[in-house]
Amino acid sequence: MSQAVLEAENLTKIYRSAEKELMVLDHISFSVKQSDSISIIGPSGSGKTTLLGLCAGLDVASGGSVSLMGFKLNAMNEDDRAYIRNQYVGFVFQNFQLLSTLTALENVMVPLELRGERNVMPKAKELLDRVGLSGRLHHYPSQLSGGEQQRVAMARAFITDPKILFADEPTGNLDEENAYHITELLFGMNKEQGTTLVLVTHNLELAQRTQRILRMRGGKLVDDVVGRVASNY
Amino acid sequence: MIEYVIKIKRKNRSIFKDRWVWSMAWRDARHNFSRLVLFVAALVVGIAAVVALDSMNNSLQNDINSNAKELLGADLVINGERKFEGELKAKFDSLQLPQASEADMASMVLFLNNGQSRLIRLVALKGDFPFYGKVETQPADAYSKIKTGKFAMLDESLASQYEVSSDDSLRIGSSVFKVSGVVAKIPGGGGITSTFTPSVYISMDELDSTRLIQYGSRVNFKQYIKTSSEEETTQTLNNFKPFIRKNGYSYETIEGRREGLGEGFNSVYKFFSLLAFVALVLGCIGIASAVHIYAREKREEVAVLRCIGSTGWQAFNIFFIQIFVLGLLGSIVGSLIGIGIQQLIPVLLKGVVPFEISTGISWKSVGMGVLIGAVISILFSILPLVAVRFVPPLSVLRSDFSPERIVSKTKVVAIICIALFPIAFAAYQTQSILTGVYFFLGLIVALGFLTLVAIALLYLVRKFFPYNAGFIWKHSLSGLFRPNNQTRVLMVTIGLGAFIISTLNIVEQSMLSQVEFTGRENQSNTILFDIQPHQREGVIKLMKENNLEVNQVVPIITCRLSEVKGKSVEVLQKDTTDKIPNWALTREYRVTYRDSLHNSEELIKGELHSKKQSKDSVWVTISEGMEENLGVTIGDSLVFDIQGVPLKAFISGVRKVEWPKDPPNFIFVFPKGVLENAPQFYVTSTRIKEQQQANNFQQQLILQFPNVSLIDLRLILSTVNELFDKLGLVVRFLALFSIITGLIVLAGAVINSKFLRIKENVLLRTVGARTSQITKITLIEYAYLGLFSAFTGMVLSLAGGYLLTTFFFEIKFAFDWKEIGVISFSVIFLTMLIGWINLREVINTPPLQVLRKEG
Repeated sequence: MSQAVLEAENLTKIYRSAEKELMVLDHISFSVKQSDSISIIGPSGSGKTTLLGLCAGLDVASGGSVSLMGFKLNAMNEDDRAYIRNQYVGFVFQNFQLLSTLTALENVMVPLELRGERNVMPKAKELLDRVGLSGRLHHYPSQLSGGEQQRVAMARAFITDPKILFADEPTGNLDEENAYHITELLFGMNKEQGTTLVLVTHNLELAQRTQRILRMRGGKLVDDVVGRVASNY
Repeated sequence: MIEYVIKIKRKNRSIFKDRWVWSMAWRDARHNFSRLVLFVAALVVGIAAVVALDSMNNSLQNDINSNAKELLGADLVINGERKFEGELKAKFDSLQLPQASEADMASMVLFLNNGQSRLIRLVALKGDFPFYGKVETQPADAYSKIKTGKFAMLDESLASQYEVSSDDSLRIGSSVFKVSGVVAKIPGGGGITSTFTPSVYISMDELDSTRLIQYGSRVNFKQYIKTSSEEETTQTLNNFKPFIRKNGYSYETIEGRREGLGEGFNSVYKFFSLLAFVALVLGCIGIASAVHIYAREKREEVAVLRCIGSTGWQAFNIFFIQIFVLGLLGSIVGSLIGIGIQQLIPVLLKGVVPFEISTGISWKSVGMGVLIGAVISILFSILPLVAVRFVPPLSVLRSDFSPERIVSKTKVVAIICIALFPIAFAAYQTQSILTGVYFFLGLIVALGFLTLVAIALLYLVRKFFPYNAGFIWKHSLSGLFRPNNQTRVLMVTIGLGAFIISTLNIVEQSMLSQVEFTGRENQSNTILFDIQPHQREGVIKLMKENNLEVNQVVPIITCRLSEVKGKSVEVLQKDTTDKIPNWALTREYRVTYRDSLHNSEELIKGELHSKKQSKDSVWVTISEGMEENLGVTIGDSLVFDIQGVPLKAFISGVRKVEWPKDPPNFIFVFPKGVLENAPQFYVTSTRIKEQQQANNFQQQLILQFPNVSLIDLRLILSTVNELFDKLGLVVRFLALFSIITGLIVLAGAVINSKFLRIKENVLLRTVGARTSQITKITLIEYAYLGLFSAFTGMVLSLAGGYLLTTFFFEIKFAFDWKEIGVISFSVIFLTMLIGWINLREVINTPPLQVLRKEG
């Protein structure tokens, strides 16, 4: 039996303001095993993105705990969590989040360079070739279309051979055709590299391609369905 | 579930070993030059100002050191207001050292070629003066010629002003001299003194023929002595000292002249360097402001970097490296520009300094500029950059996410260093910790006050917002409250520049108003002095013939003090515990007698005592300030030596005197019935309305009464104006740095708000606004900004100007609304100009381009 790479236990997130407290995540528990793919779905404001942020170590929970690759994220400081992200995690965001001042190639190289690795260019070029952008290596994000930018973001996410990939609405800003290509790439590369995939989406069709779907409502996990369950949603 | 590897083996790499941060710094900087150029520009201007001044100061100090001998013309000079006689004369005669003599006095000169006349400083020379340096004349033999007879040479400025050339004739006193040439350079001459009273040089042997030296004439005598070594100078001086002190003479050595000049220019340098310091401080604000905006814009990028594993310090280092490297480059560029500007300053100071300032480069100043630039680029960028360390990675998912405020150690240390920097720098510039602290406090007060005025003004605008005004006026005003518009910072920085220039203007106006009474109706503008008793009626008659009103005829008696409060001057001179300055004891006093107060006087203590009977004691009044110098108060006794006759008097009152008003004014005023029979001369005053009338009168006066001198106060006014023009040019030039820095900050803010403005204008155009309307909205917004900045600066300058004139210069506060208006208008115009330059791109951006981007 493969081990859990991500484990959330009684995860709670409360935002406090002067007047009131707002509980956006209410005691969420789940775990994800190596090479699994899960999607988190739910209506706007249900807490999907907050959950993703906590699981990826981008934020700190108000209660409960998150273990990522066995590391208790709650007990770590921000720089240690950054180290964990660099070593084990890949990200794909809805609005691509490429560094505007870097070329496509440089954007892809950054995570490995950050580790202190040298001669990373061949690998970055290979990945950009894999996503169909070998002719756009030296273009800046502003010179690329939305679909191309997301492909660069995918190449950047996979260059570190991440153990786990977090994707937040990866096709949310794309047209149908580009969304299709990105989905194929995402699942194809995920399968090739055996990466665990955690996907946050509104898109049921996309969610149905994962092995498991977590459904959220009002900060609670209301469903955890394994298998192809498209018709149920 | 198995819990494995809990401990992180993460290594922190230092900034020097982390190749990634250096390459990221370069990659990122490639696309941010336009923004970082502003940061560099703010630094460049500040550093340029500091280096220019520091380098010039070093050159000036070197010049003073190397020119001191040439400026004095001898190793030792003995000065006196009385002819050197008796023991001292015998000492000079017995001295086996080369000597030369000089006598100088105020006199009128009549240019016979054009009939014009003016008051000059007549210098009569004898011997081989100067022993150091040389007299440069045109033609070259002009100086040797004056030694041969009735020849005179005159200052270049005087010759060109009155269009006098060689072989023209001029009349001084009762003698006519032929012009032998003009003086370009002479030890002890030139500089600012020649601007006030230009000199005419003759031979000492011809002085008597002028018949200028009469009773009451104020003549300065100088004996120049050349020695072979410093030891000999000291030895000679020690020999003379007892006589010098006893007779109220003074002396000057090369070292003394060097120190005196050094101190004099040091004060000027301190003032100028503090102006440069203000430019630098504004530059610092510009740096902090530019980096703050830069760091804010980089939030998103940093959040992505943190997501993919960068530590807070790594993100910080990327931008820190950019800022530091550019700061260093900016400092080098600023230092080089400063050196360039230094070459200009001697041109601006020409005529103010009595020697040519060399333009040698001071590498020490360049080094200091680079060092200071590097320090301030670190210091003032750290504070805004520290925020980068704490950008939460969650921002990539939620752009509106704002983390809790974090108090970091770096931030606290940066704040402390920032507070200490201005003190340390001002202390370095002025070579005094106390001055540094005072200046820092002054700056804090000024900036605090400017901020308060800016806050109050913006609050009032918000509170009384003109909701009923037209759309354009209303919309442009609300633009000031746009987020990231930095309206308050701009008001403070531009306001500070306006404040400096305006305060200078107020001080200048106040000083000018001290002499401007000459312009007022019924006030005297011409003073005639050295009128001998037998000339009195003749002069009055001449004035009446020229239709000139005789405003007052004042008798003047010269005397000295022989006793103060029962102690003789000799005893007081020997008493080291006594604090009465020697000059106050030994000087010649010019006193008058009357039983009433003059219109420039006010009795602030005691009363006026008139002498009713011959046996009554003599009661005199003394001017405010002099009572403190002499340490006397009401009832104290003084013994005056009036031409050898001792006269005991008591202090009856203290007068506050407005010295420049309706002269002459006096330190001591005697009652009537005491001095009438003493040797005396007269001073009278009148008002001359037209130049032609003045010329005619002066010409007749010189011909009939050659020894009587005339001061045209209008000429003094124009000289003061000229002086302010020269000094003001330098000060304005330096204040310009502050304005430029303020404008750089403005340009930065304008560029940073450009996209926001483009978006806003596109929306306006989408709903139907015309280009002309958008142009008006933007220009009016900048006009508001300029107006508020100018207003902020003006309010502070009026307050500062009042405090400076009242308590520091102790003159009447005065300002000219027109000049203040011109300064304010210039500030508004420059602000609008920058806004207009930015506006072109805003207007030329097609709406669709923005809407697509937004979509």
